Amino acid sequence: MRKLIYLGCLSSSKYKETCENGIKIIKFLDDEYEILDKVPCCGALSYHISSDEELKNHVEFVNNWFKTNDVSKIVTICAGCYNYLTRYYKQYLGSDFNIEVKHLLQLIATPENLKKLNLKHSGKKITVNYHDACHLRNAVPPIIEEPREIINSIENIELFEMENTKINSICCGAGGGVYATFKENSDYNAKTIFNQMRKGKALLTACPFCYNALQRIREENNIQKPVIKFEDFIIKVMNQEDPLI
Amino acid sequence: MSEKGKELYEEVKEKIEQLNDKDSVYSKFGDIWKLASLGKYRSFDLRYLYEDTSREFVEEHKEQLTKMREDFIENIEEYVKKCIEVMRKTNKFKVYYAKTNEEAQTIFMEELGDNKVLYKSKSLEAKDIGIIDVLMKNNIEIKETDLGDVLCQLLDYSYPSFTLGPGVQFTEKEIVAKMKEKYGIDLEEKAEAIVAYYRKNYRPELLNDVKVSLTSANAIAANDGSIILVENEGNISLLTRATEKHIVVVGIQKIVPNVFDALIVAKLHERINNVDGAYISFISAASNTSDIQGKRVFGMYGAKEVVIIFVDDWRIKAAKENLFYKDLLKCIACKSCDYVCTASRAFGNIYASKYGIGAINIVRDYIHNGIEAAVKDGLFLCTGCENCTNWCPVGVDLAEIMKSLKKEATEKELCPPSLKEYKEKIFKDKNPFI
Repeated sequence: MRKLIYLGCLSSSKYKETCENGIKIIKFLDDEYEILDKVPCCGALSYHISSDEELKNHVEFVNNWFKTNDVSKIVTICAGCYNYLTRYYKQYLGSDFNIEVKHLLQLIATPENLKKLNLKHSGKKITVNYHDACHLRNAVPPIIEEPREIINSIENIELFEMENTKINSICCGAGGGVYATFKENSDYNAKTIFNQMRKGKALLTACPFCYNALQRIREENNIQKPVIKFEDFIIKVMNQEDPLI
Repeated sequence: MSEKGKELYEEVKEKIEQLNDKDSVYSKFGDIWKLASLGKYRSFDLRYLYEDTSREFVEEHKEQLTKMREDFIENIEEYVKKCIEVMRKTNKFKVYYAKTNEEAQTIFMEELGDNKVLYKSKSLEAKDIGIIDVLMKNNIEIKETDLGDVLCQLLDYSYPSFTLGPGVQFTEKEIVAKMKEKYGIDLEEKAEAIVAYYRKNYRPELLNDVKVSLTSANAIAANDGSIILVENEGNISLLTRATEKHIVVVGIQKIVPNVFDALIVAKLHERINNVDGAYISFISAASNTSDIQGKRVFGMYGAKEVVIIFVDDWRIKAAKENLFYKDLLKCIACKSCDYVCTASRAFGNIYASKYGIGAINIVRDYIHNGIEAAVKDGLFLCTGCENCTNWCPVGVDLAEIMKSLKKEATEKELCPPSLKEYKEKIFKDKNPFI
């Protein structure tokens, strides 16, 4: 029985450092989790543009891969994978899919693990915002309170809630492959998210797709406040580095 | 991607490009819509007008409302039958049941008779059922009465607009200039002055000249046949009272089991939209009196006759055959899904069909005109954020319906090329980003 760290195709192709950071945190909390080679994509991006038959074939392929590799538990750092694996794998595979799937945020947010991590920021008090990705808030079960519990557990870090948060959050405008086709959607919506940051000094996100879109908007509009991936933020706090740089 | 797909894709792209032009119709509508929808989105969670928020109000009734709608769909034919019976027997309404939109249009024209003028409220259902197209084809003069629609008509605005405030994008300056051009009058560039003008000049006409009027209904109670109408201007009050014949055209999905369900639906409309739904009408008979020797005579001060045209078209089929858009039968048209829609905020009336703005109207276009129409309306602008589903007070899974439409579009080679590429890489290489 193996415990798999499922990085997700976007992070593993584009955000190698974040993957390293995610792995470090997961292994620190449970060193039985491991990385395997040639992990197949969960298929989330194809959901709305594929037939039931195509999807079923794909999720069966992935499930067989899990079985072949004796995977019984998964922790993923990708919001899209978490949403897809928890919601749609059961739908297509029923009881044939019996792997426990968690997102990194869920793994961190238990009282024991928060205690183990003992996150402290030694510098001046910092106020940050957290963007609720659709993939996390819509998932079953949803991940809404976990990131808040984590942020609030860190000494000297304070969470500032934006006007649209939790189930009411604003989508970054990149979902459903829209980022690749009609980027104007996030031109408007991601900017709206930045406008709601107010006294927050950095925008945290736990979704690589949102990060991608938010970061582009930030660069194109010369927005000074950084967008930080949750794993990177936690690692910097663990290393006693300035988490905003 | 097929040639047709490319053509539709380019068409959507072209419209989006117009957003960069500050004077384009899309841009002008978009600016005001962004403000309205964002403000509404926030106010859902604020104790704004009442002790509870709109969200809390919805949450309180959501389970009951969802069950009520599911029960309705499950027993749709019985509810329709029961409703028609009570309407005919007790309420003395003239009731038609049209199997198709075309049948409804024919019935409507027959009921209109020799009249060449029709006064109407917004009646979105009439648009959906194609009544407006038929009226135009037959050169019937359509008199809008909702001020927003009156202004759209005045300014020859034929683009999809927000159903609740259809003319909200026009500035006072634009309106007054057009009024001067059309009516030769000088008005102060103020909303109050414009309203005062119509009150003084149009209201007498509505009180005295209306022979036939058309409305839809916010809900219809199956147990007592009441027609429920919510409004803030008073135009519906005038149209349903100061008329000879009041015609109601509705899809059968507007029926709810009983009069209390109808009241909740009406109140929900108010709460979601934060409009002062100044008036709610429950119409259970034409105007009548029995004051002379107990003899019931119709047509005292209000409408002499109330005619209902129920339309099935796709509805019973969707319910019975469990079609993927069956959930649409639950919809009470409260517009929650419009306010919280990511694509709608960014694209305004580019993400729309001729039936109105937003995903729900794109699905309507699909039902009536097929998948190409939906792609042209901006189907692929939807991010799948599922806000529509999360917010729906009656449990319509609109997000899932939109996903099904995208699947069908992809099967018919209408999906944008980059999405297709992702899909191929996922299935072939097991990674879309290599």
